[in-house]
Amino acid sequence: MIFITNFFTRRGTALLATWRIWRDTLRFAARAILIAATPAAYNSATRTVVMKQIYFTVVQILPGFMLFAALLSYVLIQIVVTTAASYGLSEYALEVSMRLLVLEILPLITALFVALRSSSAINTEIALMKINGELLALESAGVDTMRLEFMPRVIGGMISVLVLTAFTSVIALVLAYLAVYGWQSWSLPDFSRIMGNVFQNTVLLGIFLKSLAFGLAVTIIPVAEGMATPRMLFMAPISVLRGMVRLFFLIMLIEVASLALKYI
Amino acid sequence: MNRPTGSPLIKNLEIKVGALLAATLLLVAGFVLYTMYARGAFHSTQSLTLIAPEADGVSIGMPMTFSGFPIGTVKRMALSENGNVRLEIAIPSKDARWLRENSIFTLEKGFIGSAKIKAHTADLKDKPLANGASRTLLTGDATEEIPVLLEKLKSILNNIGDMTNKESEINQTLANVQNVTHRMTGEYGVLESVLGSPEKAQQVVTVLEKTNTLLSSLNGVSLKADTVLAKADSRLFGPQGIMDQTQESVAKLNTILGDVRESLKKADALLANAQAASADLPKITSNVREATTDMTNLRSEIDDSVRKVNHLINEINKKWPFAREVEIKTP
Repeated sequence: MIFITNFFTRRGTALLATWRIWRDTLRFAARAILIAATPAAYNSATRTVVMKQIYFTVVQILPGFMLFAALLSYVLIQIVVTTAASYGLSEYALEVSMRLLVLEILPLITALFVALRSSSAINTEIALMKINGELLALESAGVDTMRLEFMPRVIGGMISVLVLTAFTSVIALVLAYLAVYGWQSWSLPDFSRIMGNVFQNTVLLGIFLKSLAFGLAVTIIPVAEGMATPRMLFMAPISVLRGMVRLFFLIMLIEVASLALKYI
Repeated sequence: MNRPTGSPLIKNLEIKVGALLAATLLLVAGFVLYTMYARGAFHSTQSLTLIAPEADGVSIGMPMTFSGFPIGTVKRMALSENGNVRLEIAIPSKDARWLRENSIFTLEKGFIGSAKIKAHTADLKDKPLANGASRTLLTGDATEEIPVLLEKLKSILNNIGDMTNKESEINQTLANVQNVTHRMTGEYGVLESVLGSPEKAQQVVTVLEKTNTLLSSLNGVSLKADTVLAKADSRLFGPQGIMDQTQESVAKLNTILGDVRESLKKADALLANAQAASADLPKITSNVREATTDMTNLRSEIDDSVRKVNHLINEINKKWPFAREVEIKTP
């Protein structure tokens, strides 16, 4: 009997903890978005943090990431084109590869890349600040940590994901044309017709909203997770681990939700 | 606090990030404009309504093709009052020229992939299709016609089988053709293939050679005729030629004729004398002797004149070449 009670107590506590952390995350997200939406929140200090966030997340990695995205796109396009041709469905190759790459894979890859590179760093930084008591010190000194520390990171991370997605998508578009039609411009009308078919207004809005969601996820989860870290040093790696797993889960959730909205 | 907050560690941070954001905005705006262009937001379209008994496999955004090239897309589709399907097709104005009054539209369904709406225009010089025109969409299912097609295909294959038999007419014809072409490759080429044997061809060649020699001798004949004509020409019209001499003769004739006239005048005078004599008979008798001597003289004179004329005419006759027959003999 005691065993069963203990079991349910443990499960219940874990469930409540999970629930609490998601609730805290959502609450934090709402606050961050609210502050980001007020123009008065921006001053030179927040701008600098936003710019640095963008610099570290985008400018530093742009050439390497673009190369990687181009390579991946080209290989995937070739696979789709060759497979379609072998089944006699070449006319659908371009549309399929564009839907696959620009609408699904590239935003997802971008989000995962930013998560690995920046989210882990943000999570660690905030967790250490929390453990060292810096956050408490700042807040007791009257500094609005939300406005000066967290919100700019969220904005910067969001913009970064959007920028990277835009760049890689355009590269994939150009590569798709070259892979399917080669080095000539006569097929532009044909290409445009297919692009017009793929990129309807709702689809464009869909990519934008999805990238926005990815951008929010890759910054809000690590910040929220870092803030929720108990003030014990050994909790820092655990906090980062939890944050990363939750972030991966959330990114996949967003992807699946967007697919479900589109195709079901 | 060891975090770099606002420290100027990064050179030109604002410029770099600003340029990146500007480039991104440009890319996004360009992409949105491009998709709008690709969806035909910037070119005018004309509409065409197709009425079909059923629209199985047709979807909005599906292209309508002409010669395999998409020239329009399905914009709207709805069921009409009488159970038919109305498909509204938007055709960019620049592609509308492919559609004419006599164009027909078909809906084809294959085994794989969606159905295809195709436009066929037999006469591109016909009047262009009006904006908002309505046409029926002819539907055809490829799978429905397969048994019929197979039947036809069988009979065609049988025919081909008959044609390619060893004893078929085509084969015999081909053998004949081979025979002919084989002869063509012989010494007398095409001639042999036409005549059938080298001997006959040889005969034709001999005839041709003979004709050649004949032609060359004829050539010599015509050359000789040429020289003869040239000589005749010089004799006729050259200096001391017949014409000159004739002219002299004519001059002589004139003088002779003058003589004749003189003689006739004298005869006139004689006759007048005779008249006078008859009036005066006695005188006549006395003058008879005188008269007869005069008569003798006159006669001899006239005779002389006439002889001269005769002689002259003979001479002219002799000299005039056309009086004789000139015969050119061919060697």
